[in-house]
Amino acid sequence: MADSGDHKARQEMLDLWRVYRTTKEMCRDRGYNVLPEECNISFDDFARKFGTDSGQIARGQMNFSTIPSEDMVRKYTPPATPKVLNPEPAIGTLWVEFNADENIGMKNLREFITHLQNGSYYSGIMIVVKPLSGMAMRGIRGAQQLSGGSGPKGGIEVFLEQDLKINITKHELVPTHLLLSTEEKAQLLKRYRLKETQLPRIQVTDPVAKYYGLRRGQVVKIIRKSETAGRYASYRWAI
Amino acid sequence: MPPKSILKKTPAATSTQTHPAVAANPPPPARPVNQRHLSTAVQHARIYEQRKQVETAILDAVFELIDFPTSPDADPARPSPSDAHRFRQAIVPFQPSDYDGLIEERNIAAKCGYTLCPRPKGKAPSTAKKHFVETSKGVQIVDRKKLEMWCSDDCARRALFVKVQLNEEPAWLRQGDYGTEIDLMVENAEDHHKALPLRLKKAAAPAPEDAEADAAAAWAARDDALADLAMERGETPGRLSKANKDLITDKIKERVARFQPTPPSLPPGQSHMAIEGHVPKSARHAEPKDSDDEDDEQDWDKALPG
Repeated sequence: MADSGDHKARQEMLDLWRVYRTTKEMCRDRGYNVLPEECNISFDDFARKFGTDSGQIARGQMNFSTIPSEDMVRKYTPPATPKVLNPEPAIGTLWVEFNADENIGMKNLREFITHLQNGSYYSGIMIVVKPLSGMAMRGIRGAQQLSGGSGPKGGIEVFLEQDLKINITKHELVPTHLLLSTEEKAQLLKRYRLKETQLPRIQVTDPVAKYYGLRRGQVVKIIRKSETAGRYASYRWAI
Repeated sequence: MPPKSILKKTPAATSTQTHPAVAANPPPPARPVNQRHLSTAVQHARIYEQRKQVETAILDAVFELIDFPTSPDADPARPSPSDAHRFRQAIVPFQPSDYDGLIEERNIAAKCGYTLCPRPKGKAPSTAKKHFVETSKGVQIVDRKKLEMWCSDDCARRALFVKVQLNEEPAWLRQGDYGTEIDLMVENAEDHHKALPLRLKKAAAPAPEDAEADAAAAWAARDDALADLAMERGETPGRLSKANKDLITDKIKERVARFQPTPPSLPPGQSHMAIEGHVPKSARHAEPKDSDDEDDEQDWDKALPG
């Protein structure tokens, strides 16, 4: 019995190590400041850092916050207009929480939102074991309006641990996705004389779109290998 | 080296590097706003806004009702009037699915699913996912979640009594004030009726003394009647109606007859078979005769095999 218990704990540790690495890589790929050592943390280091003496994992210690890099801030800052000379960047500090609860309802969600507000985080990512309750999912959709319109501006994203065990963007069939800034998008539309509604689309619930945290209205450039053209770039409007 | 453009270079592009496309074909001048289109768009935006408000209200109500009842020693059979009133009021915009959500939320908070019950939720005999349960229909396999939903059968009955009264239609589509009364299964029913904010009739106005007061009373009666009509149309005060006064014109234009109407008649000497005045021969023959004979000539039955 003790052996099987050990085995189970080790398996969970292994899974969470993968989840942790994918989460860090996701933050790095979005443009947050993440050290390369954090993305490539070895299993032994991980077990030493977040494991308890009895071989269990302490998810509470895995939570982290990260700030956007300068590039990312530039990308997310809307262009200045005559009225708004110094526009605020639409990005800020990110809080990532690993939640161990089996059942997560509205109460846990409100606690999470309050924590984001207290720490004045711009957006939050919650990584959960089991899917949230239906009401909580509805609460996330309107997270910005919750608690009197003072919710996190960047919204809340929820990922299942299961979905983060593997970094999907490393798969050979997933092409490179590059987020365009507002200026780049404007240039693209001008160059091809398009309206944004004339671009092909990508859903924000698409796994890769979720990985990059795309918001409605953003445009990604997708560069894929092509047998005939070498490299082929196409654009998708997140919807 | 920057990627080379494959587009043809227009003279405008070479001369002004900054805005090649703009110089080549300037955007069309802005069209004046069509007032009707604008007001239609505004109307639909308002409807969405109202829907959002209703959804937020439901979420807030669920969050509030998770912590009900307010006192830990409340009795679900005899709830306090204030709690019961708040519950009945908050649950009006719910759909049955929202109510299920509320029960789920309460169970996550380890409480009995019935909102007015302070006891913790029931406990299944073991932690297995499915359980065998003896029912009147024989042994059934039931989810553990369902077993642990209520503290007792009594609470289950009370909670489902509320659920069946809920309106299936989403609150933002409901018209008028129908189905806003939700009854509870309680033992102290008379307390609740007393506690409800009764809309007392205004003290009867002193007898009208002169014609002026009479007229005022008549106008007031008309306003009341109009308000009732508006309610019937679904224009609850403070809520948005689907009918927009700007979009629907109610000006009725009567057409006045200038002379006595006469039934249409053919000019003399013309048959209804006439084609531009000419009556074909076949029509001349066919007209007095019945066409039954022709049908008989074609005896399809003989041609059929068997």
